[in-house]
Parts: sequence; C-alpha cells; structure tokens
Amino acid sequence: MSALSQLNIIQVKGLSKTVTTLEGDLPILSDITFNVKSGDSVAVVGTSGSGKSTLLSLLAGLDQSSKGEIYLDGEPLHTLNEEARAALRAAKVGFVFQSFMLVQSLTALENVMLPAELAGEKNAKQQALELLEKVGLSHRVEHYPSQLSGGEQQRVAIARAFIGTPKILFADEPSANLDSKNGKLIESLLFELNQSHGTTLVLVTHDETLAQKCQHILQIEAGQLVKNTSEVIANVG
Amino acid sequence: MWAKLALKLFSREFRRGELTVICAAIALAVLTVLTLSMVTDRIGQSIAQKSSAFIAADRVLASSHTIPADYLTKAQEYKLQTAKLTYFDTMLFANDEMQLSSVKAVSPEYPLKGELKVKSSLTGTVEVAKQGPSEGHVWFSESVFYALKVEVGDIVELGAAQFVIEKVLVEEPDAPFNIFSSSRRVLLNEADIDATQVIQPGSRVFYRQLYAGDEDDITSFYAWLKPQMKENQQWYGVKDRQSPIANSLNRAESFLLLAGLLGIILAAVAIAVSAKRYCERQYDPVAMMKTLGGSRTTIRKIYLLHLSMVCLLSVLVGLVIGYGLQEIATGYLAKSMSNSLPAASAKPWLVAISTGVICAVMFSIKPLLDLFDIPPLRVLRRNLGDKLLVSKVHLAMSGLTVFLLMWLFSNNIKITAILFISTLILIALLFGLSRLIFGGGRKLGLRPGSSWSLAIASIQKRANANAVQLISFSLAIKLLLFLVVLKNDMISDWESQLPSDAPNAFLVNITESELPEVNSYLAQKNIQVSEFYPTIRGRVNAVNGELVAREVSLEDNEKKDEEARSGIGRELNLTWLADAPAHNEIIDGQWFTDEAIAEASVEESMLARLDVKMGDTLTFLIGAQSFDAKITSVRKVNWATLKPNFFIILSPDVLADFPATYISSVRIEGEQKREFSELLRNYPTINAIDVDSFVKQIRSTISQVSLAIGFVLAIVVLCGALVLISQVQASLGERMQEIVILRTLGAKGRLIKNATLYEFLLLGASAGFVAALISDLALLVVQKEMFDLAGKLHPHIWLLGPLAGGIFVSVLGYMMIARTMRKNTQGLLRSLA
Repeated sequence: MSALSQLNIIQVKGLSKTVTTLEGDLPILSDITFNVKSGDSVAVVGTSGSGKSTLLSLLAGLDQSSKGEIYLDGEPLHTLNEEARAALRAAKVGFVFQSFMLVQSLTALENVMLPAELAGEKNAKQQALELLEKVGLSHRVEHYPSQLSGGEQQRVAIARAFIGTPKILFADEPSANLDSKNGKLIESLLFELNQSHGTTLVLVTHDETLAQKCQHILQIEAGQLVKNTSEVIANVG
Repeated sequence: MWAKLALKLFSREFRRGELTVICAAIALAVLTVLTLSMVTDRIGQSIAQKSSAFIAADRVLASSHTIPADYLTKAQEYKLQTAKLTYFDTMLFANDEMQLSSVKAVSPEYPLKGELKVKSSLTGTVEVAKQGPSEGHVWFSESVFYALKVEVGDIVELGAAQFVIEKVLVEEPDAPFNIFSSSRRVLLNEADIDATQVIQPGSRVFYRQLYAGDEDDITSFYAWLKPQMKENQQWYGVKDRQSPIANSLNRAESFLLLAGLLGIILAAVAIAVSAKRYCERQYDPVAMMKTLGGSRTTIRKIYLLHLSMVCLLSVLVGLVIGYGLQEIATGYLAKSMSNSLPAASAKPWLVAISTGVICAVMFSIKPLLDLFDIPPLRVLRRNLGDKLLVSKVHLAMSGLTVFLLMWLFSNNIKITAILFISTLILIALLFGLSRLIFGGGRKLGLRPGSSWSLAIASIQKRANANAVQLISFSLAIKLLLFLVVLKNDMISDWESQLPSDAPNAFLVNITESELPEVNSYLAQKNIQVSEFYPTIRGRVNAVNGELVAREVSLEDNEKKDEEARSGIGRELNLTWLADAPAHNEIIDGQWFTDEAIAEASVEESMLARLDVKMGDTLTFLIGAQSFDAKITSVRKVNWATLKPNFFIILSPDVLADFPATYISSVRIEGEQKREFSELLRNYPTINAIDVDSFVKQIRSTISQVSLAIGFVLAIVVLCGALVLISQVQASLGERMQEIVILRTLGAKGRLIKNATLYEFLLLGASAGFVAALISDLALLVVQKEMFDLAGKLHPHIWLLGPLAGGIFVSVLGYMMIARTMRKNTQGLLRSLA
C-alpha cells in the first residue's frame, strides 16, 4: 500500500455506472475519478438525477459499478462480493439517510446498538448510551421510533452511524426531511462528531449552504464530475 | 449474538402485532384441521362402530353349508375376534302347544359389535346382555311366549332337548329389523345344537362366521381367506349392505372430508396473505441490516428462527384450541345423541401438526427467500424489491401446496381436482370481473368527488391488490355458499327420504284370501298402509340362455371373475305389477303395456350385477318351474323410502298363476300398536317386521351428521372472516395514506367513510356474485358425482351470494378500518412513519 493510499481513505478511478433500460443502456455515471483524504469532509452536490446518490451507493458498496475501481481504506471494493462488502461496511462505514431508516420494532438504544450487534460485538450498550447522550437523547433511549419526532429519529440515526467508530460516514440528504431548526441541529451534530471521531464524511446534498461547510465539494452533473475542489485530486489528476 | 438479536426482534414484532396475523393463520389452519379431522375421526369411529353393530361384526362370512372351523382359528391368528352363528327353523313344544320358530344358535363371543337387549320377564325392563344364553337355556322373542303360553323359567322342548326359558329377547344387533309380536325368534347357545339333533342331512341351515378387528388385520385375513372360499360362501361388510343408513354414512364421510379441504384452502389464503405482508414489511429492516454490515447468513438465520418460532408457537396454540373446540363439539354431539364418542386416534394430531408445518413453510418460504434477496441499495432507492411483490413462483407454490394438501387430506383425487379446477376458473373469472369493475367508473360517468367514484377509483388504483382481495373474498364466499347449499340439499334429501310419516312396519306373508279382510281392518283402525304387492321367491338362473355363477364375495374393490357372469347368489322376492310403483323411476325403456307378454323391469344396480342390458332375456327358477322374461325397462329405486321395493318386477301375465303372498308397509302410531297386535293374533300366519327403531337409528345418525355439518360450517365462517381480516390488514397502510391525502385535500369524513364502505360493498358483492355462480356449477358436479344426489341449480344463491358477500365484506371491512378513520391526520402520519 503506497503512502498516498494511506492518506486517501477513498480512491475512485474511472468509475462508471450504466443501467439497462427498455430503450438500451443508460449511463448514470461516467469516468469519475477522485480521492478523499482521511478525516476530510466532502460534499457531493448536483441537481436531481445527476447521479450523486448513485455515486454514494457505489462508494458505500451498496451497488456494484459497471467499470472503474474504488478503494475504501485501501480495500478494493470493486472486487469484493456482497458478503465481503457487507463485512467492510460493518467494520469501517457508518450511514445517515434522509428517511432515517430506523428499525421500527427496536428502541432508540437498540437501533444504535444494531450495527455492533450485527458485527458480533458484545459491549455495545455503553457506547450506544454515550452516543445517545452526545446527541441529546439520553432521556429517550427506551422509546420506539414511532414515539420520536423526525429530528429525534435522525439524531438516533446519527448516533447509530458513529457506533463502532467508523472511518467513513456516508450521509444522504440528512436534513432534507426536517424543519430548518432540526436540520441545523443535525448538521452541526454531524460535523461535530465527524471532527471529534476523526471520521471522513461524505455528504450528499443539494443544499449549497450545507455543502459549503464541507472541506471539499464534488459537483456531479449528468453523471460527470464537473467540479472538484480537492487539492489532492488536482495533484493526482 | 444473532440469536439474541433475532429473539429481541421476534418479541418486538410479536408485540407490535406484526406476526400475530401469520401466527393466527397457521394456528387457524392447525385448529381447523385438528378439530375437523378429530371430530371426523371420532364420529367416523362412532359411525363405524354403529355400522358394525348392524351386522354384529366388521365382516361376515355366510354360507348355507358348514363353514370350516379353521377359518376362525386362522382369523384369531390375525388378531381378529370371531363368533359363530347357526340359523335354522324348528318346532318348539310346551304346555301342549307347538310353534314353528326361527332359531339362532350363537357362540359365547356373540355379538362382536352392537348390543343384545333382553328383559328378565315379559313386564321387566330392557337391559343389555353381554353375551347370548348359557348352555341349557333359551331366549324367546315376546311372540313365542304368547304362542306357547309360557313364561320365563318354564321348560320348553326344542328338538330332542329340553331348555329353560331364561330371558325375553328384545333386540339383536344383526337382525335388520326388530322383532314384532308375531316374529318368532329363539336364541340358543351354540354348544346345545348337537343335543337338539335338529340339524340332519338335508336340513335347511344357514351358517355365519363373524369377524371384528383392525381394518388392516381384516384385509390381511381376507387375503388369506379369499383363495379358500367356496362358491356357496359370501363375504360382506356393513358397507356392502344396500341400506339407507350405509348410504347416509358414506355421504356424511364425504361431506366432512370436503369441509376439511375447504377449511385448509381458507387457512392457506390467510397464511399466504399474512406471510407476504409480514415479509414486505421486513424489506426495509433487512435492507438496513445489510447496509449496516449484516451478512446474508445472519439475516437468513434471524428470519428462519422467526419462522420456526412462529411455526412452533402457532402449531401449539392451534393444537390446544383445536383440542378444546373438538372436545366441546364432540361433547355436545355425544350428549345430544346420548352416546359417547370413542377417543381419537393419533392420525388427527399428525395431520394437524404436519398441515401447520407445511402451511408455515410452503406459504411463507418464497416471500422469505425474496426477503433475503432484498438489496441493501433499497435504503437509497425505496422501490427496489417491490418487483418481488407479485411472485408467480409464490403463487405456483401456494397452488401446488393447496392441491397436495387437499389431495392428502381427502385421499380423493377426483374431489380435489373438481374443487381445485373450479377455484382456478373462479380466479380467471374474477380477474376478468376485476377489469370490468376497474373500467366501470369512467363508463358509469360518475361525478368526480362522489363516494361511489372514490370507491371505484380506489378499486382501480389498487388493481392488483384488489384482484387478490376479490379472489380471496370470492373464495371464502364460494366455500360458504358451497357448504350451506350442500348441507341444505343433503339434509332435505335425507329428510325427504324419511318423512315423519314414513312406514314403521312391514306386513309380510299375507295370503290372497286374507287380503280383503286385512285391508278393511287396517282401514277401520285408521292405520296408514301402502300398496299390497304380490310376492314370490325366485332366482335368476340364466341370462340369454347362459347360466349365471353364484357371487361369492362383496369385498370392496374386488374384481369379478372375468370368465363367469356374476349372479346374485340368493333368491329374490319377485313381484308382478300392472302399474309402475310411484316411488320408482323408469330410467330406460318403457313400463309394461296392457299387452305385455313375459317382460321384466330390472333395478339399475341389479342390471349391473347381472351384467345384463335392455332386451336381454332372463330365465327365472321358481321351485321346479322355470320361465323366461325379456328386460323391457330399467328402474331407479330409492331404497331409503322404507316402502316395499323389488329388484325385479315382472309383467302380470308371467306370474299370475303362481301362488303368491302379499307384502305391504304400514305406519303404526302409539295407540294403534294394540290394534295391530290384535290383527296379528287373528291372522297368525301374517308376519310383521318392526322398522321403527331402525328408522330412529337413521334419524339419530342424520341428526348427528347435521350437527357435525353445522359445526364445520361455523369453523369455515370463522376462517372466512380471518381471511378477510388479514386481507384488510394488508391494505391498511395504503388506506391510511389515502385517508391522509383525501383529508389534506379537504375531503369530508363522511365522504371518506362512504367511499370505504362502498369499496368493500362493491368488492364483496362482485365476489359474492361470481362465487355464487361458480359454487353452483361446482355443486352441480359434486352432488351428482360424489354424493349421488340429484344435481340442480340454485338461482336464489345468485342473489344471496352478492347480498351476503356485500354485507359480510363491507361490515367486517368497515369495522377493521373504522379505528383508522377515527384517528386524526397527525396520528395517521405517525402510524405511517
């Protein structure tokens, strides 16, 4: 592993994604190349349908690319099968989604503990309680998602994302479903935890203001990377 | 670790009610099968025991010659119980009186089935005797006491021996008709036969060997016996006797089995719907778990554990409730029939458990496999995996499972195929009807915003889901209608066969000279009497000049000897009539004309047994005289009418010169018994055969079967309701969304309520109408083919179906939705989240 790859927690080379439709092959992403340094925060911006969510799904190993290479903390994601990708996510990746994606039958505490339990960790409870305290929900640990407000549910999702101290956090429009007050609270929580845990943050958003809070911006339009503020990329490019 | 998480998820899902419906559906399948099969099993055993009582055994070997004793020894080796009977007529002497009587000598084991009823004196009370008379003793029927002017304790001479009269014989299980005052019956111990010296070479004696035991043992024994059997020996069981009770029992058995199948179909629908719904609701959690790093193996383990727990829990619940229900049902049946039902065998338990497990696995495994395949990407693309919603494989698997379960449960491929195919036709028709309804709103030109147009729009919007609902509702309604109509037809058919004024005694052996006096006496005493038929005993000796062979056995499914024309092996009561009996139906040919010469009318089953056809010539042997008659008509005879019936009726010209006696049936009400006895005293040669208790037995069995059918019906109604509940629950989320949208758009509560009500009304009425049509067609086939009832259409159910369907579905559906509609919009949004 090169010194460069140790610095670059995410490396993307010539990434393309094409889907087959009735009308023929439809390119969603074309020849995307960039790197993200460990601990950085990167915003992926673009209009609706530009391919930013597809990029996120490929970076997180939720979907497979048609072409190109993705290295996550040095692991060649593009060569791994579904089980290996899941194992990689369990070890190194956290998620926050627009629609919270909490398991309705589990309490706030249990939702936070879920990734650790799936990974077979035994002492997740204490860590989960601490995270819930950090997001200001220590008084709601035994509540079910349906008993929490949207903002509270997203805070549980953030706490869940940070359990196991992931190296990379992927966030997909984390404040889009919330009012501006809760939205701002969630955004500041994300950046705070990102900094305090030294986590790399990849944030998909169409909100320019939120994007500006990140260290770097990747702008996608019609499946092409049209703007990259990362100096590292410029050097490599 | 996964197990802990799985248990935690299971307990939460269970508490949230996610798994309740699927558990209830499996439990319902188990309890339905257990209750039905246990009740069927117990009633079946009871019926078999009762039936066996009619011949005092499970099988009888009969002959007019001595039957080798080693048959009995061999039968005992096959673990069968055995008994021996010998019938002969002889004179009895006592107090200078003499009387010709029918003697039945019985071995100590008699009766193997049923009860012997006796009295200690003529005025004593009836009691059950465990076995026949001991050595040196005889039992007489009441008429013998009067004829010989004796009492219990007197000495009587029977042949060369003397006997003490010990009991008054009231009822023998294997006497098809009970003994009336003039039937002279004597019961003797078999060991005393030699002492009487009555049986001499050339004596007219009939021998019977009785066998009882496990059906498999009987089959094994018969396999051994069959090659040894001689021409003069006849093997039969209760089912071979052409009695109304046997026919009714066979019908009851078929009906209960059919009802069991219907319960399974309904339970299967509920399970399939609930399992699919549960799995759909797990798509997001599974996608999330995969995203958070959960491996496919872990997820598979979690949900397979859920399935196992659901299976275990629901099977247990089903067994407990099912056992309780059948205890209540059988307890009620036993009480109402003053009869205790035998304990159930292990079969119902095994059938119920395996049905539960098969249903749990087969109806949920495909949605579960689909669930395992849900891609983690669903967390970003929420509609991913929705293409799995309508799975052809799941439908095919469910269909195949239903078919196999039906087949296994009924053990009758024909009835399974009829039901299954009629259901498939119903499904196809309903898809067509769904399309008509979905396009109907626009064609009707309803104004937008009316409750009806909203209801139709709602049906149109959920086209596929509603088609599935429509099919399920139709299936439930179809099964209900099917059962209700079949039950009514069967009961009314039975009832019509046995009207309340059915004859309860036969008068036989009336001479021509006695006929006018007897007729006027009966009229004078206001005793109802049917026609008098002349009878003479005769045998069919040849067909078209070819001698017939004696039939040796009636064992089920036994093939006839292809080389020999089968005969009937016994003498028949022949009659001759100018007019066809009113209760007989000519199904082929024409009744005798006034100019008919040497013609015969043959009953349809006899036609088959003799292997003859219209136009064949039968040769009859009466005593030493023989004559020919040509078959010119075939009759269908209802043997259950309890009126005199004949296999063969001849044209009057053939038998007019033969000496005949007359037979008729009468209806004797309580107080007429004394007057009737007086008639018999005045005409000692006339015999009367009481069939009152026989009729009571038939009525009691019909009543028992009616109760069982009512119980089965109640279970099917319950199953239908649960299918409906599971269907409505499956659509609850979508309905909540609609209500929210409509409210947001300013729709009034009443509009939404009416739209929902009309939607269910339309669904139910449409389903009910098609269900009525389909079930009526299926009924027509089933009644004709399976139950031997006259098939007929029931136009009233074409109205009843939509009406019942509309009311049933709308009331139950509306009740299910009412709580949701009472919630405010915020509450609904929260529930949806």
